[in-house]
Amino acid sequence: MATETDTDPSTDTDRGRNTDHSTSTNVNTGFLDHEMKERLLSRGLYVVAGALLVFLWIPLLVMMFLSFAQNASTLLPFQGFTFAHYAATFADGTLMTALWHSVQIATLSALVATVLGVLASFALARYDFPLKEFYRTFGILPMVIPGVVLGIALLIYFRTLLGITPGFLTVVLTHSVYGFPFVLLMVSSRLYTFDESLEEAARDLGADPIETFRDVTLPIVAPAIGAGFLFAWIRSFEDFIRVYFVKGTMDVLTTSMFSMIKYGTAPKMNAISSFIVFVIAAVLAVAMNVGNVTGYVAGTQGDE
Amino acid sequence: MRERLVSQFTSHRNQLGLTVGPGLLWLVMLLLAPLTFMVTVSFMNVNDAYQIVWQPSLDNYSQLFAGEGSFWQTPFFQSLLLSYFIAGVTTVLCLVLAFPLAYLLARKGGRTFKVIIFLVLLPFFTMYLVRAYSWYLMFGPSGVINKLLMQIGLINSPLGLFNYGIPAIVVGLTHAYFPYMLLSLYASLDGLDFSLIEASRDLGASRFDALKDIILPLVLPGMISGSLFVFVPSLGAFITPRFLGQGKVLMIGQLIESRINSLYAVGYGSAASMFIVLSIVLAFALAFRYVSVDELGGV
Repeated sequence: MATETDTDPSTDTDRGRNTDHSTSTNVNTGFLDHEMKERLLSRGLYVVAGALLVFLWIPLLVMMFLSFAQNASTLLPFQGFTFAHYAATFADGTLMTALWHSVQIATLSALVATVLGVLASFALARYDFPLKEFYRTFGILPMVIPGVVLGIALLIYFRTLLGITPGFLTVVLTHSVYGFPFVLLMVSSRLYTFDESLEEAARDLGADPIETFRDVTLPIVAPAIGAGFLFAWIRSFEDFIRVYFVKGTMDVLTTSMFSMIKYGTAPKMNAISSFIVFVIAAVLAVAMNVGNVTGYVAGTQGDE
Repeated sequence: MRERLVSQFTSHRNQLGLTVGPGLLWLVMLLLAPLTFMVTVSFMNVNDAYQIVWQPSLDNYSQLFAGEGSFWQTPFFQSLLLSYFIAGVTTVLCLVLAFPLAYLLARKGGRTFKVIIFLVLLPFFTMYLVRAYSWYLMFGPSGVINKLLMQIGLINSPLGLFNYGIPAIVVGLTHAYFPYMLLSLYASLDGLDFSLIEASRDLGASRFDALKDIILPLVLPGMISGSLFVFVPSLGAFITPRFLGQGKVLMIGQLIESRINSLYAVGYGSAASMFIVLSIVLAFALAFRYVSVDELGGV
């Protein structure tokens, strides 16, 4: 299934390297000579990469295609393009309410997670205290515990022990603790590489601690805080299983989508899903041109 | 006012309390307490009014393995085993698929790298539910794959392989967690000095020797942490098996969810969850024998 274009870019740089190689091990004179073998391997790598990208993209592309197709449930027979599904989706009041709930919850819980996570990052990076390593591991835990387990534990805890009726508040609390590790990981790793002598210099020049923080520390750490907030926000926004347990009777976007799939309303589901992919593509393209997104992502794997 | 604020900030104990305190409070209130409570509940009886009877017992655990026939025939044991199998296959598949791509990314810079990473990250950032749903459209007797194959004329009736079931779940989970593996491997490979490989080749090592003796040992931490981040969430997966199994496959997460949501079977759910938690603790304990915490998650 690999596309032709994926094999193309292996021309200049690879050939350059291959010729280097062949000077050292030119003794190989089998059915395929050495240079040929190197080129095939390098091409092979591109073919595999291409096939993987196709694998990652094909279901999403099919879904996006269907969101514009008149016959929204399957590719064939194809009957033409339409925007009707999108119109119906954005006219759906309950779905839009659920979306609004999701945005509110994601924003509130990401804010709480960011405040807590930034404070804890400073603690980890700047101070020594007993059980520090334990605190760090403890702080990463919400990210590692499977959603089913955390969801059930919190449901039983809220309902049976605390006697809180599940609803908006319980979801925000749940997601604030779920988002915490993402902020902690990003901000603390930024602080570890931070040159503290910059702060000392500011203080020597007469700045008080608040001014130092505002004018020196904050600007340097701000990108990491922003990335942490964004990550916590997305994690909350896309979470289904935790919210499913602690939401009570309220609906958020993911739980609405879940029942849409369950009761088979494909056209709206295609449209809202594709819309989300478009929005995320735009945000990601901007973010990748502004900052080092890969660097942040590599250290923070999550789960669902 | 400002002076007072400043003096507050300069006391070491206040600084420590301010930075450690809030996060610790949150974690104790919303993580440690609920989990401890769940462990406790798993050892208690629950009466008919869904109230917890504070009397220690192992009833919940024996209930997991009770039913017709021996313990390995109980729904719980079967679904636990199946979940291990599915999570294991998914992990191996992710590892095998991600390695070549991670290698390519580590060797390439510039535009190729940026384009590939964007194409990988976009599905990764897309909602998990949407990705599971997109595979739900592909599979099934009247899904896109079967319809397309029939239209082309390759098959006459829907192929069982593309129906909902274990293969579909493995594909869905691989799609969902592949980026975690890729990014972990990439993080390891990125720091690798590729001149080592050229040196070994110059000294007469075969391509396989170079892979086995140089690349693998250096990438091992990435492989282990990547495997953890694929295996652990796959084990507790809920949405993917729900949509791509369509009732034919019952993974452990679904089993627990159905008991909790239809019966509010708190005892059963807590006890069953303990098996997931225990598996994860074991997996991490095993992993920590080969990698340190630092290598595991960025910090």
